[in-house]
Amino acid sequence: MKPEKKRSTYLFPVMIGILFLCFVLSIRVGSADVTMKDIFATLFSSGEDYYGSIILSIRLPRIIAAMVLGGALAVSGYLLQVFFGNPIAGPYVLGISSGAKLFVAICMVVMVGKGVYISSFVMVVAAFVGSILSMSIVMMLAGKVKNMALLVVCGVMIGYICSAITEFVITFANDSNIVNLHNWSLGSFSGISWEHVWISLCIVSITLVISFLMSKPIGAYQLGEAYARNMGVNIKRLRIVLILLSSILSATVTAFAGPISFVGIAVPHIMRGVMKTAKPLIMIPGCFLGGAVITLLCDFIARSAFAPTEVSISAVTAVFLAPVVIYILVARRANQRG
Amino acid sequence: MDNVLSTLALDVGYAKGKPVVNKVSFDVKKGEIIALIGGNGAGKSTILKTITRQLEKLSGEISICSMKDMELDEESMAKKVSMVTTERIHPELMSCYEVVATGRYPYTGRLGILGEEDESAIEEAIQMVGAKEISGEDFSKVSDGQRQRIMLARAICQDTDLLILDEPTSFLDVQYKLDILSVIRKLVKEKEKAVVMSIHELEFVPAMADLVIGIYNNAVYQVGTPKEILTGENLEVMYGMENGSGNVMAEGLWNYANSLERLICQK
Repeated sequence: MKPEKKRSTYLFPVMIGILFLCFVLSIRVGSADVTMKDIFATLFSSGEDYYGSIILSIRLPRIIAAMVLGGALAVSGYLLQVFFGNPIAGPYVLGISSGAKLFVAICMVVMVGKGVYISSFVMVVAAFVGSILSMSIVMMLAGKVKNMALLVVCGVMIGYICSAITEFVITFANDSNIVNLHNWSLGSFSGISWEHVWISLCIVSITLVISFLMSKPIGAYQLGEAYARNMGVNIKRLRIVLILLSSILSATVTAFAGPISFVGIAVPHIMRGVMKTAKPLIMIPGCFLGGAVITLLCDFIARSAFAPTEVSISAVTAVFLAPVVIYILVARRANQRG
Repeated sequence: MDNVLSTLALDVGYAKGKPVVNKVSFDVKKGEIIALIGGNGAGKSTILKTITRQLEKLSGEISICSMKDMELDEESMAKKVSMVTTERIHPELMSCYEVVATGRYPYTGRLGILGEEDESAIEEAIQMVGAKEISGEDFSKVSDGQRQRIMLARAICQDTDLLILDEPTSFLDVQYKLDILSVIRKLVKEKEKAVVMSIHELEFVPAMADLVIGIYNNAVYQVGTPKEILTGENLEVMYGMENGSGNVMAEGLWNYANSLERLICQK
């Protein structure tokens, strides 16, 4: 009766397996190759030798961050797609990531200029404020522009404006302390510390659990507002919660890794195809796992393809995932029969 | 006090602006079907949307199962009133079974996982509308007629005392109309449900409705049995017909309606 139930019961373990393989691959390969023996030696020792310090202080936090934040980004995109009732929505294409980026950059430059240490938490808050602001602009436009493709164009424009202002801010505050800002503003997992990892783990896991518990009303909302209301869903509350959850997730990602393109829009689409369902109960964990795998792989490519030079993660995700977005747009156009 | 729904001096319409229909008052009892008729834009849907809380009422009172509507929160509303609207839904990758299953929403737990009782209610509803063969198919790929059956099954398994149906038979061929309406009639008579439906096909009204409410000129024009309402004169007024054409229409209408009534009631 319900094939997708069986499908997900074997697909989830398979995906966790794939994630584990990517994890091992990412730990081993890099500008300094580490063998399995070294990894085990590190895990069961104090980690004070050469490989140990590479694994523990550079590679491991970066890998965990890529998984957690990549997953978060995919779920954020899924929630946005539910909100707009449209598969061509995502935090990057709607300019929400760029809004977050702008606020984090301003916050950093101002604080660093005053010589104040910025805690990770402040960065997340700044990113969240930026997300909500660009989100409100997008929603205001959504009220006027009924066409989703046009809304995406507006979102991309908002993104450009925010990115341009971010460039100004960074250029004029050219302090040695914020030289890192440039890498970050293009999207990168390099330089992520354990502190960032713990904070993102906390925020993302809480937000994910709440999203998962909202599966039921989200599923009802997929049938349209009228029916959802008839099923007893408080529409206003649900819409606010969707926006907040999605913004918190994408803000956390942007605060630590900068704007990462197309994961939020493409991964939910790929997962719908893999899982053969749009049910939130399956899609929320599915998107998280899918986002984790894809982002981890892209980050792996970003740091190892042209080693020792690193490319930004957004460059890699764009190459692989933008074609998926084009496919969605074209397929939808072909399906619109009156 | 066995009114499932009663409205008193209800004004319906959109938030800013004049009421679309003024002073609507009627009662619906268990086992009754009420048909709303009237021209396009008369406000039939507006009344139904107000009852199902898609629109806020402008003034007046709505009671459901002898409870004032203010006393009912969203969840208890969902267990008392279900609906089928004219709005098309576009669920992605959902089978017909899954669409019907959404009707069980008010009864499932926190995560919405279906229990045995839910599953048997879903099966029963699908059986009732005769959609067994298509229950595994993708909802977006079945025909309009099949889709309407599924939406009706969805409303049935929500297991409410009152069903609100907005033009349940529009866009369907005559056999689908007969099937859908027979199911509705059987449901009401056998399970003592109450139905309020809007309908454009007047020929089906005598077979279905215990009471007809004609809407015209921003108000309830007349309330009565199908015999009282579907007269040449009334048709001329409600649908803005030329003088004399109403009687011609009514004569043919009643012939057709009588045949349809035989077909629907024998099922």
